[in-house]
Amino acid sequence: MKILDIAFKDLVRSTRSLFLIGMALAAPLLITALIYFSFGSIASGNVEMPTINVGVVNLDGLPANSLLEAPLGESIRSMFFDESVRSWIHASDYPDEATARDAVNAQEIGVAVIIPAAFTEDYLVGSKETVITILQDPTLSIGPTVVRDMVTSLLDGVAGGGVAFKVLTERSEANGQTLDPAIIPTFFETYSTWYANFQRAMFHSPDKAALVVKSPAEKGDAGNNVQSMMGMIMSGQLIFFSFFTGAYAMMSILQESEEGTLARLFTTPTNRTTILAGKFLAVLFTVIVQGAVLLSAGRYLFNIRWGETGSFLLSFMGQMFASVGLATLLVSFIKSSKQAGFVFGGALTTLGMISGLFTANIQIAAFDLMGNFTPQGWVLKAWKLSLAGQPVSELVTPFLVLTMMGIVMFAVGAMLFRRRFA
Amino acid sequence: MRIIDLALKDLSQIFRDKRSLLFLVAMPIAFTIFMGFAYKNGSDNDASKDTRVPLGWVNNDGNGYVSTQLFEMLSNSDSIRLVELTSDAVDESIRTGEVAGVLIVPDRYSEQVSAGNEAPLTLITDTNSTNGQSLYQILRTSVTKLMSAVEIAHLSAETIGKPNDASELNEAFASASQAWSKADSASLVTVEMAMENAPTENWFGDNPYNQASPGILVQFAIMGLVSSGQILVQERKTRTLQRLMSTTMRPWEIVAGHTLAMFGIVFTQIALLVVFGQLALGVNYMSAPLGTLLVSVALSLWVAAMGLLIGTVVKDDSQVILFALMAMFIFSALGGTWFPLEVASGTFASIGKVMPSAWAMTGYQNILMRGLGLESAWMPTLILLVYALGFFLIAVRRFSKLGI
Repeated sequence: MKILDIAFKDLVRSTRSLFLIGMALAAPLLITALIYFSFGSIASGNVEMPTINVGVVNLDGLPANSLLEAPLGESIRSMFFDESVRSWIHASDYPDEATARDAVNAQEIGVAVIIPAAFTEDYLVGSKETVITILQDPTLSIGPTVVRDMVTSLLDGVAGGGVAFKVLTERSEANGQTLDPAIIPTFFETYSTWYANFQRAMFHSPDKAALVVKSPAEKGDAGNNVQSMMGMIMSGQLIFFSFFTGAYAMMSILQESEEGTLARLFTTPTNRTTILAGKFLAVLFTVIVQGAVLLSAGRYLFNIRWGETGSFLLSFMGQMFASVGLATLLVSFIKSSKQAGFVFGGALTTLGMISGLFTANIQIAAFDLMGNFTPQGWVLKAWKLSLAGQPVSELVTPFLVLTMMGIVMFAVGAMLFRRRFA
Repeated sequence: MRIIDLALKDLSQIFRDKRSLLFLVAMPIAFTIFMGFAYKNGSDNDASKDTRVPLGWVNNDGNGYVSTQLFEMLSNSDSIRLVELTSDAVDESIRTGEVAGVLIVPDRYSEQVSAGNEAPLTLITDTNSTNGQSLYQILRTSVTKLMSAVEIAHLSAETIGKPNDASELNEAFASASQAWSKADSASLVTVEMAMENAPTENWFGDNPYNQASPGILVQFAIMGLVSSGQILVQERKTRTLQRLMSTTMRPWEIVAGHTLAMFGIVFTQIALLVVFGQLALGVNYMSAPLGTLLVSVALSLWVAAMGLLIGTVVKDDSQVILFALMAMFIFSALGGTWFPLEVASGTFASIGKVMPSAWAMTGYQNILMRGLGLESAWMPTLILLVYALGFFLIAVRRFSKLGI
């Protein structure tokens, strides 16, 4: 009963601390929310592309006696001004390369497409000397890639027409036929229509395209990469702040020692094990409540699937044991609450960093390796498996390792406390 | 003079506590190295290493002529290394990282596509990864050419009156595939950096610290408020501020003194990180030293003004940490210090671009990544100063209402 009383008193104290609530709940939720709102709209299917500002310098002209109706440069230019791309490409014309370059320098546009004079003429004779130049702002990566793909795709379409004509001519000759010039426009038109439909399916109807992309099985059937990324990011935050919360909550023993209430408690007929057990229970309960709130928020606010029930529970329990164990160990080394900021800030951030908590969505071999020696690394390993939809059997090893780590750290911490308060 | 005395008192108080050096210097340096390492991950520059992306190949089409052609195309690619797999090895090969993705050719693929039926190829990969994205882009081009060759063969055979002649279809397909192998539209498009002095090719200028260093610098400048903001709180708690107010020192002088100390702390921290970035990480802040100085001074003033504001809002030390952390998270994420705003969704990026932290990043990136000079620093500096003034005025107003 005394254990519960001590635990309850500590819990009341924790709920009154704006700092603890801020660090335990507000901070991890804020970070995840910020990342969710920067990428997360994609997860809900509401793809909001950042606008790409494109400048076009079209110096191309139609060569004399050309069969084309318009120069290729005009087709490329029109592509950027087309109604279908207006929601995410904002195109503007520039008279020459220097002006366009200045506009990129001034960050008025992110990409400039320079179509040189005689591009069509040289293209039609097979010359590869005259090329289209894409000038880009060095801080951008997506915009220039998209623009380059669009231009290349259009040129592929034109090249396809050339290939089609070449094959038709060759096969007609091989079959001893003379090609009727009257059928050529229809032939081109049929091919162009096919190519346009093919490209449309490729870009706009991925399920009907000739190449379908699927996520690996371990990513789960949701197959939503953004959701998967959010799961990784939030698990990193969950782990970091869970360890922080555990340590901060355990600090109540130091605060009581400094305020003199601990000494007063020792004068009562309550043995030290009971006091420490009460403190431990309060920390455990705080970490459970924090975890439950964050996991629920992750599920219902950010649509994160934490995994199968068994796997999820093992990950969560492993995290609890490890965070309470480390909290006990860390606080047992600290002499005063003033040292806490230094130790928590330094030790927990360093451990989190080398365990890959801040880069949970990126595979970095060095952090994977170092994570084998830290409790945070093993918790991350457990959550990764659970998020990947792995069964309980796969989680047994990380759970056992975390439980062992938790027990050892708690035992060492408890021993140091006993010595200090003997 | 009394303003400077007060500022010096604050500074000596902060620097007496060696632990503040952890937050001011050690942690930002550790994070800069760490983030640079994270950005660099995967960009291995070992020339002797096979850098082609490994792609698993599962062929359920036997010796079909279309899949054979696709295999040939991909085998000749400079970007892909094909690894032949069986269907049951797909998941394991991806899980162990043996391949970055697997391309599955369905049963009777050649027959189906020749007959004009839908028979999609399946690429299994994590498109969230760089390798997954690369595979998709490369395969999209290859598949387009392959399907174009099939279509051209059909059209050609139809036009010459042999639509169902398998031999004719095969010949036309071979001819189209050969012609496609010589057509290289990508070589007709070159990409250049617009700025003549821009460092190099990739988005972080071949030095991952060009993004990590200013990003962490801005982030930890805000975090540095923890040390300076606590001074004001302690003065209020220990009632030395009240004692100070009873002297002949005017309130604005007290505010100015504390702000000057905060500015000194933040600017010193930024200067140390700039020097560390320049000397240890090869981040070329000194390509425009005056520009770097201007942006750093303006950033320090904005952060100092925000520190003053936090110092007047909070009630105790722990709240200083909490408010400083929240400010750091919000301004860092929105300002593009964690990831470039280009990759964020439209609304987020639009809001982010007006943040003072984003302007600080722009100022540094103009110098580091765009290779621009002093002239590029004026606009970010001006906007940061406007923010600094705004935060300062709010802080002074709060200070006057503290009722000391």
